[in-house]
Amino acid sequence: MRTILAITKKELVSYLTTPWAWVVFTGMTGLTAIFFVQTLGRFLQVHEMVRSSQYGWSALPPEYQLYRNLTDGVVVNLWSTVLVVTLFIAPFLSMRLFAEERRNKTFELLMTAPVKPFEIVAGKYLGAVITMSLTLGLTIVFPIILSIFGRSESGSALEWSTVLLGYVGLLLWGATNMAIGMFISSLTESQLVAAFVSFSVALAWMVFGGFAHGAEEPLRSVLLYLTFDGQLQNLIKGVLDLRPFVFFGSVIALCLLLTHRSIEAQRWT
Amino acid sequence: MAMIEVENLTKKYRDRVAIDALNFSIGEGQIVGFLGPNGAGKSTTMKILTGFMPPTSGRAKIAGFDVFEHPIEAKRRIGYLPETPPLYPELTVRGYLSFVAELKGVPRPKVKSEIDRVATGTGLTAELERLTGTLSKGYRQRVGIAQAMLGSPALLILDEPTEGLDPRQRREVLELVKSLGGQHTVVLSTHILAEVKAICEQVLIINRGKIVADAPMAKLTGGRETGLEEAFIQLTAE
Repeated sequence: MRTILAITKKELVSYLTTPWAWVVFTGMTGLTAIFFVQTLGRFLQVHEMVRSSQYGWSALPPEYQLYRNLTDGVVVNLWSTVLVVTLFIAPFLSMRLFAEERRNKTFELLMTAPVKPFEIVAGKYLGAVITMSLTLGLTIVFPIILSIFGRSESGSALEWSTVLLGYVGLLLWGATNMAIGMFISSLTESQLVAAFVSFSVALAWMVFGGFAHGAEEPLRSVLLYLTFDGQLQNLIKGVLDLRPFVFFGSVIALCLLLTHRSIEAQRWT
Repeated sequence: MAMIEVENLTKKYRDRVAIDALNFSIGEGQIVGFLGPNGAGKSTTMKILTGFMPPTSGRAKIAGFDVFEHPIEAKRRIGYLPETPPLYPELTVRGYLSFVAELKGVPRPKVKSEIDRVATGTGLTAELERLTGTLSKGYRQRVGIAQAMLGSPALLILDEPTEGLDPRQRREVLELVKSLGGQHTVVLSTHILAEVKAICEQVLIINRGKIVADAPMAKLTGGRETGLEEAFIQLTAE
């Protein structure tokens, strides 16, 4: 346990004393801010339409109904966008995990220390997940802004239970991306290759949803089950759903296992 | 008891045989020079002894523990300096040494005194707060040695510790290694014969994956000034 925490601590120091994590933090908040302003603009536009129409909300088609409150109209939409932003940003955080150890020749230090390979994997993954949580943690500032400046007829501007469940979904997705990225990083010495391959895998997972919609049953249901946004949609909307935890938990476990195998296997070549 | 026992150790990279059925044993407290031309199999042997790489066949024991059956026990007894000092440029010397001390399981209350001890031994006391990425090559090498000394392992395996150093640094590192003899068993790999002559009691010469000499220094040189060079050139001839 102590060695796991020592490795985690070292990972955090490495992330936070080099510019990378800060660039990613900036990128994450910057991109989310742009989408936040856009979503908020759309929200205000819909409310303007309601106000100018004599029939109020009943005149609008059903898909506009979610704009009735800030939680569904802004935060839920924002979280769906942050899911995609995470997919783009995670490879930049995960690429260095093992690739950098190889390039610095510190991999030999880890592998010749009296430490089990699974402790190395666990320590690194924990550090990676904490960094990812910090990155996602910054986006909580947007619901906070809404709750300070927003108003609603029912009193509180936001339903925090919905906001936070969606946020848990985001963290789960972030942790999954880091596990995939860590495995890919353990396969190469080049961070660039690691980032590119992780990104391709995540992107493929995203477009895959498109194929799912075009497919015939029963293939369609199977494919839809495997899409990440399909898995997460309940959580994002604030419905407590345990299935995504099992689904992404399995993906994470598989990636950690593969990473373990991959660092063990490298010694044999 | 022998610190290192190697039996029929063989390593093949696909069809290429890197080391071929090595047999040797190294006693406790000795400083052993591990010599050989480039590509003879020195680094491969060291990587197997430190548990970084498994052999194709044969076995290696450190202080009685088989490197592959009891890797943690064996690794606990080894301090290893690879060819390139394994540093994290973003950590300070102190941060780095304390990370390695944690990895090696140095008891927590002793970490600080261990760092001070190895830093004093390697002349790094004044550099403890510097980032390892900003150190000169000589200092990096020292940090590498300091890292190997943490936790006072019984066996130190140093792969070309004087590589790339200037003459003064070279001498300092050699003095340091010499001072480690007695309390540690030291295996020193190098291709600079003068260094070996200055500090080693025992010499192992490897050529094309085979041991060609395993003898005390005096026996190998025959008491002559140029004895080691002559023996080396003769034994490693094509």
